[in-house]
Amino acid sequence: MTDITKPLPGQERYVAPLDETPLQTVDTVDESAPASSMWADAWRTLRKNPLFIISGILILFIIFVALFPGVFTKNDPNYCNLDNSLEPAAAGHPFGFDLQGCDVYARVVYGTRTSLSVGILTTLIVVAVGTLVGAIAGFFGGWVDAVLSRIVDIFMAIPMLLGAIVVLQMFRTITSIWKVVLVLALFGWVSTARIARGAVLSSKNLEFNTASTALGSTPTRNLFRHILPNSVSPIIVIATTSLGSYIVSEATLSFLGIGLPTTTVSWGGDISKAQSILRTDPMVLFYPSVALAITVLAFIMMGDAVKDALDPKSRTA
Amino acid sequence: MTQETTQETKIEDKLEDLQHQEGPLLEVKDLQVDFTTDEGHAVHAVRDSSFSVYPGQWVAIVGESGSGKSTSAMACLGLLPGTGKVVGGSIKLNGTEISHYTQKQFVSVRGSKMGLVPQDPMSNLNPVWRIGTQVKESLVANNMDVSHEKRSDLAKALANADIEIKSEGDETFLGSKELPELIEAAEQALVTIGVTGDDLDKHMAYFRGEWVPGSETRWRVADDLIKAGVKDDDAWYIAKKYVTGSTMEDRIAGLLDEAGLPDAATRARQYPHEFSGGMRQRALIAIGLACRPELLIADEPTSALDVTVQKKILDHLQDLTNSLGTAVLFITHDLGLAAERAQHIVVMYKGQVVESGPSLEVLQHPQHPYTKRLVAAAPSLASQRIVSVEERGADATALMEHKVNEDSLEHADTVIDVEHLTKEFKLPRRKELFKAVDDVSFQVKRGTTLAIVGESGSGKSTVANMVLKLLEPTSGTVTYNGQDISAFKGKTLLDFRRHVQPVFQNPYGSLDPMYSIYRSIEEPLRIHGIGDKKSRAARVRELLDMVELPETVMQRYPNELSGGQRQRIAIARAMALNPDVIVCDEAVSALDVLVQDQVLHLLNDLQAKNGLSYLFITHDLAVVRQIADDVVVMQHGRLVEHGTTDEVFLHPQQQYTKDLLDAIPGGKLELGLDL
Amino acid sequence: MGKYLLRRILQMIPVVLGTTLLVYALVFALPGDPVKAMFGDKPVNEAVAAQIRAEYNLDKPFIVQYFLFLKNALSLNFGETFAGQPVISEIGRAFPVTIKLALMAFCFEAIFGCVFGVISGLKKGKWYDSVILIVSLLLISVPTFVTGFLGQYLLGVKWRILPVTAGSNPGFLDLLMPAMVLGSVSMAYIIRLARSEVSSNIAQDYVRTARAKGMTNTSVTFRHILRNSMIPVVTYLGQDLGALMGGAMITEQIFNIHGVGFLTYQSILKGEANMVVSVVTLLTLVFVVCNLLVDMLYAALDPRIRYA
Repeated sequence: MTDITKPLPGQERYVAPLDETPLQTVDTVDESAPASSMWADAWRTLRKNPLFIISGILILFIIFVALFPGVFTKNDPNYCNLDNSLEPAAAGHPFGFDLQGCDVYARVVYGTRTSLSVGILTTLIVVAVGTLVGAIAGFFGGWVDAVLSRIVDIFMAIPMLLGAIVVLQMFRTITSIWKVVLVLALFGWVSTARIARGAVLSSKNLEFNTASTALGSTPTRNLFRHILPNSVSPIIVIATTSLGSYIVSEATLSFLGIGLPTTTVSWGGDISKAQSILRTDPMVLFYPSVALAITVLAFIMMGDAVKDALDPKSRTA
Repeated sequence: MTQETTQETKIEDKLEDLQHQEGPLLEVKDLQVDFTTDEGHAVHAVRDSSFSVYPGQWVAIVGESGSGKSTSAMACLGLLPGTGKVVGGSIKLNGTEISHYTQKQFVSVRGSKMGLVPQDPMSNLNPVWRIGTQVKESLVANNMDVSHEKRSDLAKALANADIEIKSEGDETFLGSKELPELIEAAEQALVTIGVTGDDLDKHMAYFRGEWVPGSETRWRVADDLIKAGVKDDDAWYIAKKYVTGSTMEDRIAGLLDEAGLPDAATRARQYPHEFSGGMRQRALIAIGLACRPELLIADEPTSALDVTVQKKILDHLQDLTNSLGTAVLFITHDLGLAAERAQHIVVMYKGQVVESGPSLEVLQHPQHPYTKRLVAAAPSLASQRIVSVEERGADATALMEHKVNEDSLEHADTVIDVEHLTKEFKLPRRKELFKAVDDVSFQVKRGTTLAIVGESGSGKSTVANMVLKLLEPTSGTVTYNGQDISAFKGKTLLDFRRHVQPVFQNPYGSLDPMYSIYRSIEEPLRIHGIGDKKSRAARVRELLDMVELPETVMQRYPNELSGGQRQRIAIARAMALNPDVIVCDEAVSALDVLVQDQVLHLLNDLQAKNGLSYLFITHDLAVVRQIADDVVVMQHGRLVEHGTTDEVFLHPQQQYTKDLLDAIPGGKLELGLDL
Repeated sequence: MGKYLLRRILQMIPVVLGTTLLVYALVFALPGDPVKAMFGDKPVNEAVAAQIRAEYNLDKPFIVQYFLFLKNALSLNFGETFAGQPVISEIGRAFPVTIKLALMAFCFEAIFGCVFGVISGLKKGKWYDSVILIVSLLLISVPTFVTGFLGQYLLGVKWRILPVTAGSNPGFLDLLMPAMVLGSVSMAYIIRLARSEVSSNIAQDYVRTARAKGMTNTSVTFRHILRNSMIPVVTYLGQDLGALMGGAMITEQIFNIHGVGFLTYQSILKGEANMVVSVVTLLTLVFVVCNLLVDMLYAALDPRIRYA
């Protein structure tokens, strides 16, 4: 019936000239595009992200300062002379002196190593323990998951700072930075465990695991060859971001006077000592604070950039 | 009968006259849409495309994914996603240029002049608002009068009712409050004129069904009464007295009812997650038509649904738009659907219109090479089983006769034997077990293809998983080469896995994104400890060649490949161990027609070359015709029908199979006559 | 809804028991003798020490101690401080101050966090979006005590707008700066959360459908984008209310506010184990109850949870 009626004006039969839209073969592989794995893609995204470039340069610089503080100052951070108390900046002492007469610049430079060590060591432990527990809970499920998840809930319910203070109070005599590292890890592993569990759970349900099983793979092989590699990105993201927050926590504990011993050069401790002279000499407090803030900012920015690059939502294709 | 036909032609002539008189409702000329990439490059998504829609007409835009068909339609609504922008050409609605409209100006035409029925029913309703509220938003946004019907001039002109609508008041809607009284009065009136017994019941049942508050108008009530024998004056008296206008809630329920949602008043108070996909799509149709737009843009409105549901919904939509005089711009990838539903068709390819014209003419006599290719690849009832390359080359006469591997069917031995297979699942928070598969038996013969067809929830994938021993049956057995697979463990299981391989539905999910293509195809060889590094590399090359992919893809990762290419990789991986049986679980369902056709041909060639047996799970009967020798039809976990492909297609025994066959879009149309 | 709530409450019980046990164990099972601490520098009188041990049940096995503690805690009997004050009355003095501080901080972070986050999310890429983002990054990076000192120095010492410290019985103005300092980090997180939620919701299909209905931009924004973005933001806010009370320690220390954090810190320094356990237990309870409230709110906001 439709083919008898004449088409309405403007709807007559139209065939585009062939040269306008040349016909392409069905479903060809674009061989010209460069090959890219997930990591190569992430790297390409990262390279273009100014956030990554800035934070990357900052972090490299901070690591360099931590490794070779001697390059930046010839002064001994522990050499304090009360004669110099609160002296303003002078040649070779760009930030001046604190109440005890120590060189503020030298202390800021040497404090970098403390903060960075605590941050990196805590992160390593947290990632190891958190991933292990999270992966076990997510992979085995059932009662194992139920028990581990309740344990995670219990640790989650205790505010980190409060818990850390309670524990640290018991070990006031120990002076090693491992004390702070272990205590931060004790209350920090849970959030990573939660993330790892979620990541393992979601990649466990992906079809390629079923496909692999049908090819003859075993569950354990699937865990190590498919599930864990696919759960890595969210763990990297949380590790980068929390590294910054561990540095803040260490500084906070040192500030409260129960973190690192006063003999260790640390930004938190210096800020704590400087608070009594806040009204008269705020700059003594200012320098370590800025150093601390820049370090933390660098890691948080890095975490953001890595998240943008690895976020599964932005990787839909 | 003849009278009706003449009346129909009369309406059609009238419609055509009106269409000539009024000119196109929507006119798109040389439309250009660009997207900007992150790097600032412009991507031309639509180039120099022109098409038009006349009042009351169904126009289909067909094309593959990425052809620009949805983009063109969204440009008309001013709803281009992301960086999309109209950079050239014109879009005229009722002669008014709208392509340069600001978002504020678009608000005034959306909903009231142009409605949208979007593609994915799962994501297009806001999960936090009740269905009724989401319909209401549309009515409120356009200040719709909920107590009176708004009909287009076209619908009025076309109305074939003998009743003349005398005044505004005659278009008043029936309210739910007055309904019981109206029913009572109607019964009284019928009794008065002497209708009793079965006749009375029949009339009353009809009234109860038709008189939906918020949808039925005064004049229709009067009309119904008059047709039942009530005198004109009495009928109008009753209608005037009891049909006095509907509330917002009535109108919402009425709209949902019109879209084919049963028990609409209750449903309106529910949330989207309580609805099935088909019900959500009906709600979206109600929303799209709520303000009686002159043009409805339907973007693949039923692609996500089962065929039988699709047919019901489209039938309903067609009735509804016809009676309202609404024009429909219908976007689809399905040629059959376009041929069946639309008067005018627009074929798009790579952002351009390559061919357009009356739909049957275009699809039966395609002229542009792309359209020809598309029509040739489209599976339909009329298509035949694909013939493999070798057979094509070897014997041209055999090609003519070849339909089903009948010889092989009769003589071949059984590879997979499924006996009384049953699988029960425990549902959360429910006591009784859910029978996903209920007593299913069939055999797969060596070198042939058995297809299991069914809609979602039929249990077909569960069967596939049990055959693959990824799931243990509750009862019943699966035997492979005469051995019960439930006994396989360790070495025997590994051996079974080596011979029975899967290809899964989702080409995006079944390949590990972290694995290069080389590693993915090599994985089965590694697992089974076959060959050394060098021989495995050689085998991977061989396999890639087998699935017609260049060697360079080895270093690539799944995310760089298209769906069809990934599926070919999955096939190569399945072929790596030289299996006997491949279980394809909806292996081509997610692919565009041309790509689907290509993969089906590949599967078929592999079967001919290697003597493979396929267990082919699909919801698409048209595909079955192309690939299968035997067919099993499943519904609600049960086996409904089992026979050779020809038997099932030509002489279906069961009503369900007939319904399925009927629901294939354009199934009865012969397309591509000159090919 | 009722069933859902019941399930959540039942799940809460092991968490509360586990958490209190953990805290109790940390304080009492670790090295250091609380009784000796009471004597300070004086020589330990063994007879008195034994009497005290009996009074605090310290002579009994650890797990019995814990259950006795729980039993007493249920009747709000937390024992006495070294100075002989009932612990509960000390806590009763400190809690209202902290609640006031936490609520003020909560309002501050909720209002400013949501407003800036939503503006930022709706106008992604505009200059003020960048400014808001950078400020929130800075707030997250700078430790609370540094923000505190900065506030004290600028607002209190230099410009003299607000009082530098609060003292023992603080009023609204005294607590204004501490509340802002306390809420600043969470505010930054809320800004980021709201921003990403809003910007991802804008791209949702149902938002496009709403626009296609002919709804104005304002009503689409409020009814669809903001309504749906609120769900995770409200969840975060609820959990944060509990965390604010526990996290007030630094702020209370800097501004000399005699609240729970101050009390806890002083008790830890003095070795008042009883007080520490009691306060931490109570704070944990507050935290868990807040989480329960969040779950209820979550269910109220998201019908998918309610009927699950």
